[in-house]
Amino acid sequence: MRIGIPKGLLYYRYHAFFETFFSELGSEIIVSEQTNKDILDMGVQFCVDEACLPVKVFHGHAASIKDRCDYLIIPRIMSICKKEYICPKFCGLPEMIIHSIPSVPKVSVDPLYMRNDKELFKWCLSAGSAVTRDSAAIKKAFVSAKKAQKKSRTGIIEPGRRLTVMLAGHPYVVNDDYLNMGIFNKLRAKGIGIITEEFVSDGETREEVKRLVKKPFWTFQRRIFGAACVLIKKNLINGIIYLSSFACGIDSVIIDLIRHFVGDFPMLVIKLDEHTGEAGVDTRVEAFIDMLERRVLNENYNPSPRECVLSGQNPV
Amino acid sequence: MRITIPHLGNVYLAVKILFDSLGLDYVIPPLNSREALSLGSKYSPEEICLPFKLMVGNYIAGVESGADTVLLVGSCGPCRFGEYPELQIRIMKQLGYDVDFIVLDPVQSIGLNELFKRIRKVGLESGKSALSKIGSVFLAYNAMRLIDEIEASAHAIAGYETNPGEAKNLLSSCKKEVFSCSDPVKAVKILNQYRNRIKTIPADYSKKPLKIAVMGEIYTVIEPFSNLYIEDILMDMGVSTVRRLTPTWWLKDMLLKTINLNSRELLKASNEFLPLYIGGHARECIGEAVLAAKEQMDGAIQIFPMGCMPEIVSKSILPSIAQKKKLPVLSLVVDEMTGEAGYLTRIEAFLDLLERRREHVCTRC
Ligand code: SF4
Ligand code: SF4
Repeated sequence: MRIGIPKGLLYYRYHAFFETFFSELGSEIIVSEQTNKDILDMGVQFCVDEACLPVKVFHGHAASIKDRCDYLIIPRIMSICKKEYICPKFCGLPEMIIHSIPSVPKVSVDPLYMRNDKELFKWCLSAGSAVTRDSAAIKKAFVSAKKAQKKSRTGIIEPGRRLTVMLAGHPYVVNDDYLNMGIFNKLRAKGIGIITEEFVSDGETREEVKRLVKKPFWTFQRRIFGAACVLIKKNLINGIIYLSSFACGIDSVIIDLIRHFVGDFPMLVIKLDEHTGEAGVDTRVEAFIDMLERRVLNENYNPSPRECVLSGQNPV
Repeated sequence: MRITIPHLGNVYLAVKILFDSLGLDYVIPPLNSREALSLGSKYSPEEICLPFKLMVGNYIAGVESGADTVLLVGSCGPCRFGEYPELQIRIMKQLGYDVDFIVLDPVQSIGLNELFKRIRKVGLESGKSALSKIGSVFLAYNAMRLIDEIEASAHAIAGYETNPGEAKNLLSSCKKEVFSCSDPVKAVKILNQYRNRIKTIPADYSKKPLKIAVMGEIYTVIEPFSNLYIEDILMDMGVSTVRRLTPTWWLKDMLLKTINLNSRELLKASNEFLPLYIGGHARECIGEAVLAAKEQMDGAIQIFPMGCMPEIVSKSILPSIAQKKKLPVLSLVVDEMTGEAGYLTRIEAFLDLLERRREHVCTRC
């Protein structure tokens, strides 16, 4: 049995779980390549025009491996935290793939609730049954998959020489080196420190969103908005670079929230779609960094990234 | 307290009847227009969906004419509609308006007590007795049902009428008359009269007009300005249309959701293609397409605002339904940039296609 795992969307958070689970069951795992031009083009070709870039790219990933596997893992992740959602598109992801890409192999369609062991195990039973009938083996694989997930980390934290910026955005944009236009390396080359949303604890973000009128619906709305506020409060960053996707309803809400609550704190919003040119982004990032440097010089505004406490997250 | 509401199709008529009968002070903002839209877009986040912008436009207009409280319904689903109040309240504050927001969220998310508390806030303003308040609610509900029925009849009969344009004229004079009547009981009477009148419009049922289902994101299908008056356009072209999503449907859906008995038929129809609830009204849209095919309609038009997340999922499923169930579907995306000319051309081209398809099928058999 060859299991295909597209390297897109929340693969970036949960790859350890899926990969361990299926390899423990003894199946061959085929992960699509790192996002590249071909994958993007394929995604654009198959996916509906109106979708956001990450979903299009996910279509490309799925299409790139569909002929090489017998079972495609298209996680229908309904929710990763209690009483919070991710995005309507995640809930309809298997349908989008099945109806947009011709001749896909069998696809996992069961809903996934990552924070609920019982539900998660149910998913594993059903997905695992495609590989083996042995439910004890599935149970075992499930346990090791959870363990592996607990150990896995996403996100980046790197102290810089003088400046530190928060790279904000959905993890599958921030951590995908093709979608983020290699921004890590660019900032690194300039000696800029980087921190992503993952390094602020869940508790802190929850505390932070209490001042909103309504509890946020979306996990990443709480995480990104909360993390940005915490990092600013603790004086750990000089600016925010927000990597957002065109047509992402959630990004538009988060950006508006941050703008409103942090006032004139420097934030650069880069909107990505398949037409975004790297050169244009580079120029804007450079101008932004220049501006931050001037600010530091003029105002003696100097946060120290070392204080930052690493907090574990990512548990399933 | 002077209440204002955002527009959604003909809801303002029922709300007017409700407030009149409760004896509340209110302002109905002017119907949606370019002005409301440009006002709303100016102060809303750029990429937020169209309904949000129009609603902000309505609030500003309402508050400018003296309202101090905005009454709206919320929801807590995985879609942005639930986030609306949060952002909108802040936008209004930022603009320096001193307004109260009363958000009627569904029972499931805020609990019965909180909901009652919020309703009471409005109810206390009315000097009427509890019993007559309940009477007012029923009166308004009845009015909403009648308006929806009249509208549906007008849309259905448009393809058959002997004197083209009669249904449309009747519909618009009905709305005008009801809106200018400040006696709630009389207003409902007027509605009753119109319901009978619209049913007796001279029509020729031997005609075979095109029949089209109008579906998609709930706000944009119900609020005519946001879909560039598509139903009027289709009426002018002598096409009969059916739209299942109406304010009455929505109300019933909200109430029945609490006991999980909502829109059975649509959900069942959608099972084959989208078995799970994903937010917004994507499942309903899929269900409607399946039913339209089953009822042998000529085609379906899906309308949704730019960037609408659930409808993007439906849109990617619709081609499969179109193919499997042989139902041509046209998807129209609307935002503040939608040009009338291009929009009309696409509708005309679609109708042409349906006509040709019909001839083709007929000559074949
Ligand atoms: S959250 Fe935004 S970027 Fe992610 S899938 Fe949904 S619309 Fe796309
Ligand atoms: S269903 Fe569509 S239009 Fe409605 S809130 Fe969600 S994204 Fe916006």
